Amino acid sequence: MYWDRDIETMERSALQRLQCERLAATLERAARAPYYRRLLEKTGVADVREPGDISRLPFTTKAELRNEFPYGFLAVPLTDVVRLHSSSGTTGNPTVIYHTKADIIAWQDLVARCMYMAGMRSSDVFQNIMGYGLFTGGLGFHYGAEKLGAMTIPVGPGNSKRQIWFMREFKTTAMHILPSYAMRLATHVKEMGLDPRTDLSVRMAFVGAEPHTEETRRRIEETWNIRAFNSYGLSEMCGPGVAFECPEQSGMHIWEDSFLAEIVEPDTGAPVPDGECGELVLTTLTRTGTPLLRYRTRDLTRIIPGPCPCGRTHRRIDRIRGRSDDMMIINGVNIFPLQVEQTLMRIPGIGSNYLIEIHEENFMDRLHVSVEMAADSFQGTLSQLEGLQSRVLAALRDETGVTPVVKLLEAGSLPAAEGKAVRVVDRRAQSGKGC
Amino acid sequence: MAWHLSVFVMNEPGKLEKITRVISAAGLNLRAVSMASTGEFGVVRVLVNDPDRGLEALKESGFTAAKRKILVAQIDDTPGAMHGLLVELTAARINVEDCYGFVIEEGKRAAIVFEVEKFPEAEKAIAGTGIHLISDAEIYRL
Repeated sequence: MYWDRDIETMERSALQRLQCERLAATLERAARAPYYRRLLEKTGVADVREPGDISRLPFTTKAELRNEFPYGFLAVPLTDVVRLHSSSGTTGNPTVIYHTKADIIAWQDLVARCMYMAGMRSSDVFQNIMGYGLFTGGLGFHYGAEKLGAMTIPVGPGNSKRQIWFMREFKTTAMHILPSYAMRLATHVKEMGLDPRTDLSVRMAFVGAEPHTEETRRRIEETWNIRAFNSYGLSEMCGPGVAFECPEQSGMHIWEDSFLAEIVEPDTGAPVPDGECGELVLTTLTRTGTPLLRYRTRDLTRIIPGPCPCGRTHRRIDRIRGRSDDMMIINGVNIFPLQVEQTLMRIPGIGSNYLIEIHEENFMDRLHVSVEMAADSFQGTLSQLEGLQSRVLAALRDETGVTPVVKLLEAGSLPAAEGKAVRVVDRRAQSGKGC
Repeated sequence: MAWHLSVFVMNEPGKLEKITRVISAAGLNLRAVSMASTGEFGVVRVLVNDPDRGLEALKESGFTAAKRKILVAQIDDTPGAMHGLLVELTAARINVEDCYGFVIEEGKRAAIVFEVEKFPEAEKAIAGTGIHLISDAEIYRL
């Protein structure tokens, strides 16, 4: 049941002592990176007796990672680095994370721990439907699954026919997939005359890399007749393996032996109490190549108070509610894209693909929501379509407080994304909030 | 029981043409087409000689489509015939939800396709009127 019983069920007091030791070691290591050396000389190395002392240190943001390109955060000689992962860098410098051999081994072990916790075993056949390469989702799960001992099919994303062929030929039982692609792939399975619920052997899925709602997860589970587990990670930490759902499916255990988690108020940076929503801030506790201190993830979540029935002592974070920088401001009203998704997924007859656009009309912001209908719920009448459209409009208006323009689309008419689905497009002339 | 196909289309140029292309590529005979629209989107009805194959072909081409039950009445292709049919339907208290027609033989026979609210009841009610319903086999043969 546990991949690493000692660590996963460690007493809280012991876990905090471990965090302290590792935090002190991390500060020492970080001081070898040019950026942190300058910073820590200026601010003085914090006297760390308990994890809470970390709040005396300043935050690290994506902007610093970019400004210090390429080696400002590198804390080891380049000869000790075995791999780098990088953002695409289409706008400005990319953010680059360097991994030593020890970092890669620790990362593999964390991902194996996650997958084992969710119920994957070495007898499973694991199909990795994520992008390989600079994106951490593909390689992260790949090495985690191999470490766990499952036969791994490194098929990568896209080409639905080939995905389904592998699933059938090798009786795939577990898959790692983007939530948006999980729904699209199921449609392809049905188009081939197969029932994803009964004609395949898939029993579990790891879904992540895109924030998604509980409603979307339940749809994936229902469509495939599987259990889907939420995965949280970010390339600045290691990638997947930061936090993951256990069989309780009630929040994601954040591995506190490897990461120090804080939740702060996004505007002020002040800590918020457990249970309240804020921005997740993470400090690496074991990484050697690129240690990061108080990294602002921009992801909004909360610590779920109280112990988990699974017996693990590592605290749980809630499903990501959005990013502190993807909040849309429509005529002064704050709306998160996930609010729109949650509302749409609750409406029967609505498909899983949608697009949010913000337009400027007569100097006012206007929210446009295009959403596909579910192909198999079409009964063939205009009145059904009109009813569906007005239900969507009313539900979105109730949820967000603004009246959107709703466009009902044929199933499959929104462009298919190979990577992360683009859900929000800001078309305002001077958009302060590009998402 | 006869069927026609109902296709969800967004109002964009080329949408109807894509439907007829799919139907023709499937080697099906297109008997009649009608369309209802709200401006943004609409529903196209298509009567073909093999509705099952037509539905399959449309779905394979990515259309959101459904099969719907219809009644097809035969009337004379003469002035006042349609009115006569509607008088009978009204007398039988049948509410028509959708309706279109086409000529079978000019000056002689025409067909009126309609969808009604309550099917078995409507069919029974029509049996007691003077309306001549065309059999399924004959509809698909037209």
